[in-house]
Amino acid sequence: MTLKEKITEFDVSRKRPPEVMAIVRRGIDYVRESGAAGLSVGERAPEFTLPNQRGEMVSLRDRLSRGPVVLNFYRGVW
Amino acid sequence: MHTIRSLGADLLAISPELPDNTLTMAEKHAIPIDILSDATSEVLKKYRLWFAVPGEVKTLYLEKFGLNLEKYNGAGRWELPVPATYVLDQNGIVRAGQADPDYTVRMEPTEIVAAIRNIARGP
Repeated sequence: MTLKEKITEFDVSRKRPPEVMAIVRRGIDYVRESGAAGLSVGERAPEFTLPNQRGEMVSLRDRLSRGPVVLNFYRGVW
Repeated sequence: MHTIRSLGADLLAISPELPDNTLTMAEKHAIPIDILSDATSEVLKKYRLWFAVPGEVKTLYLEKFGLNLEKYNGAGRWELPVPATYVLDQNGIVRAGQADPDYTVRMEPTEIVAAIRNIARGP
């Protein structure tokens, strides 16, 4: 099963009422229209330094010096 | 995730949440990836992924889902990233990626692994 299939299965299993899904859909459309489209392939990823869960500072440049990096932006633990 | 590591790549997860205060240090050490806290949303903005949660969605979260983002993000921070994944080569160039405001659309793990393998083959 692909991740897409798993997510769809989970989303359907929540059985959210149509009026709730309508708000969620409008929210998605709003963000799409806001132009928050992220980086493009071929673009250089902006440098950053941020604290990790142990309070240690992690810099992208430092991690790239060791190898390729996968960045995952997620909304939160909720 | 183990596959990503075994290919010599690193995985960084970034969210607008404040550093977690609910885990013990031992639990934090047990987490095998770096979970980064963008507490000012500066990085989210640099990556053009930032958005302010629209009013009716905020009301929905609060009243129907019992979800107060301020509890996780800090006071006044009703803001989130577009869910996104980027595979960067060692020069920091985006070689593959996906960003979609539809939270059900994510980059397939198989695509991430394929992109890392491509990097190993050269530009």
